[in-house]
Amino acid sequence: MSAIAEIETATVKSGFRLSEWVFTTDHKRIGILYLIGSMAAFLVAGLMALGIRIEQTAIGESGLINYFVLDFSRSISTGTAYNVALYFHGAAMILAFLIPGLTGFAANYLVPLMLGARDVAFPRINALSLWLFWAAIVVALLTFLVPDKPDVLWTGYPPYSITTPGNTALYVFTVHLIGFASILGAVNFLVTIIYMRAPGMGWNQMNMFVWTTFGAFMIQIVFVPVLAAAVTLLLFDKYLGTGFFDAARGGDPLLYQNLFWFYSHPAVYVIFLPAMGLLYEIVATQAKNPIFNYKAAVYGGIIGILVITGEVWVHHLYIAGMPDWLRIGMMVTTLLISVPVGLMVISLWGTLYKGAITYNIAMRYVVVCMFLILVGGLTGIPLAITSLNLHLSETSFVHAHFHFIMGLMATYSLFAAIYFWFPKMTGRSADDGIAKLAFWCNVLGTQLTFWPLFIIGVEGMPRRYWDYAMYPQFQPYHKVATIGALITAVGIVLMMAGWIHAAIRGRKTSTNPWKSRSLEWTNTESPPGPGNFPKPVQVGKDWTPYDYHR
Amino acid sequence: MQEHIGEVTHDPPPHHWEVSWAPMAAGFGVMFLVALPFSSYFVYHNRLLAVLFAGIGAPLVLAGIAKWIQEGASQKMAIENVSPIGIGVFIIGEILIFIGLFASYWTLRLSAAGAWPPAGTPHIDKLLPLVMTVLLVASSLTYHAAEARLDADDKAGFIKWLVASIVLGVLFIGCTTYEYSHLSQAGFNPGTNQYSAAFYTLTGFHAAHVLLGVLSFVSILVAVTRIRINPLFVTVVGIYWHFVDVVWFFVASQVYFW
Repeated sequence: MSAIAEIETATVKSGFRLSEWVFTTDHKRIGILYLIGSMAAFLVAGLMALGIRIEQTAIGESGLINYFVLDFSRSISTGTAYNVALYFHGAAMILAFLIPGLTGFAANYLVPLMLGARDVAFPRINALSLWLFWAAIVVALLTFLVPDKPDVLWTGYPPYSITTPGNTALYVFTVHLIGFASILGAVNFLVTIIYMRAPGMGWNQMNMFVWTTFGAFMIQIVFVPVLAAAVTLLLFDKYLGTGFFDAARGGDPLLYQNLFWFYSHPAVYVIFLPAMGLLYEIVATQAKNPIFNYKAAVYGGIIGILVITGEVWVHHLYIAGMPDWLRIGMMVTTLLISVPVGLMVISLWGTLYKGAITYNIAMRYVVVCMFLILVGGLTGIPLAITSLNLHLSETSFVHAHFHFIMGLMATYSLFAAIYFWFPKMTGRSADDGIAKLAFWCNVLGTQLTFWPLFIIGVEGMPRRYWDYAMYPQFQPYHKVATIGALITAVGIVLMMAGWIHAAIRGRKTSTNPWKSRSLEWTNTESPPGPGNFPKPVQVGKDWTPYDYHR
Repeated sequence: MQEHIGEVTHDPPPHHWEVSWAPMAAGFGVMFLVALPFSSYFVYHNRLLAVLFAGIGAPLVLAGIAKWIQEGASQKMAIENVSPIGIGVFIIGEILIFIGLFASYWTLRLSAAGAWPPAGTPHIDKLLPLVMTVLLVASSLTYHAAEARLDADDKAGFIKWLVASIVLGVLFIGCTTYEYSHLSQAGFNPGTNQYSAAFYTLTGFHAAHVLLGVLSFVSILVAVTRIRINPLFVTVVGIYWHFVDVVWFFVASQVYFW
């Protein structure tokens, strides 16, 4: 596979042409446009988080949160402004940053390259997905322009979402547009993975990231439509006068919660799976080891999650009211899903075993992620147990628990991927002093933010409250958490400035700087041209992307 | 055709970046056509703004679709013949939307305290849904005949059967329109009671699918008479149309006859 020298330089005219970017149907460019959109959402949603933290520093009204949601005339109350910030933070981080970042940017950029394919199966539908996602970002950002800002969290629970003077329609259409983009993405990637593997590539020779993307889109195609149905009914209830969720008219507010979590718990795995996939790729390359227990991770881990993921959502409703026998059953399935997750984590750690580990900035984030998974995963177990859940539910313990997985582990896996494939995307390296400084700010800042929330959560600090006058003893913890958020903000700004700088001025790298054996590094230049591979890719029976021992 | 599915082309890679403005026009068009007018009209009660947005959105969507079909007729894909698989995956998603809506309907129905249908429901004609069933099944058959004509390279026959399918689809939508106006005159609106909410949601969502199918037929007709059509697109629309037909059995049996 030392054929890099033989690769002919493509005769593509270099140089930047705007129309070749905005109207592109090439999966690599679509991936990068996804990255820009999801990072924009991340920045705005991150600002909301900062506003939330700053508001929580004070007992009583600081009122600063109003400025964060662009309410300079203070026409809405501090509590409402806080709810708007919570709404945008949650909805944008999950729907417009994590899911499009992992299944939009990463899947688009990497999957066809890892498969040895020229593009995805339906390039124009791929571009349609992208622009629906961007339309959703536009609709989501209208939040800051309209007077009646949506304030329904990312969940949109009725009856509040129906009775609020806030604009629930913006929430619904954001979900619709992104949901439609996800469904089309699933159509594209499932067909691509099934039919467009390079000749000779069997299922057990696929990269782990391809497998996890396959799993994520299997979940998307089955569960997103149910969320779309749920929010559509919400829209009808609020604006067309139906009463699906109105208990007074024979409707059922719990129906919404069931439909919502039927999608939104599996959505955790839509994020978790590709995040793990990215970590596997980086660990295998940096440890120069094949994936430990590949088949157990794929067939036990990914497929296991797919089988169980549709049966765990009811644990989000433990305290919303349900029969006890159902509560027990749901506790069992919820605990059961930690088995496939555990298999995947064992494979991740095991890949390090006797490896020749080299550290770059991506690998540093990956090592942090390996510990974040443990904290986030293990704190999930008490939450799954009904007796403990009654105490911990709706406290900031829950908040800290899922931020360890979603906010930290999944986010850092994406950061790691950006650093790791930066030479592939730009031909330059982003691994420099700024990146290291940003890394330490990010890692230490977020730990400072979330550990105090675990502690005060167990003590009874409620989630989502904008004020906590009844618990003055928690104020020092909130202050520490806010200091952490400020440090993180510095880290994020440094990191992104570093990316922009590196993309223009960064040190040029060789085609395969990490000495990976995966197709996107071995068989094409950096960045790859149109059609990806100068020569059609073909692989042998004993080829694997983790062929480090021979 | 089975043996050709998933054949990767081995042509040398293109030496230019593929572009198309159709997806961007369609994507933002959907936002202008649906999300913004709905919000303008139902949230802010601003009719002018709603019309303005729809006026931007409709041409965008139409231009996007037209350009898309034109490109689809000539461009070569990186892989051949997988479109039917793609629409199959899409239909799995569609089925799940209907399951979500049906689950909601069943929940309301099975937890209803009083009589069903609840007070305020006028007499609903049971003959009309039967007529509509016949129309839809007939249109599936005519479309199948059209596809057979296309396979036999009989363009005139294809157009004839395609027009028949369009007429049947339009008649179906006509029946829905007649029924809705009739019922709404009798004071039966989405907000009347739980049955009306489910009735309009389920039949309306299905009718939207019929409308989309008929519009696809029309776009095939325009394409086939003016330029040419990618036969795969005809197959894909056919699979979608049969799905719309099958779903109607569930909608009609649940909404009218239970």
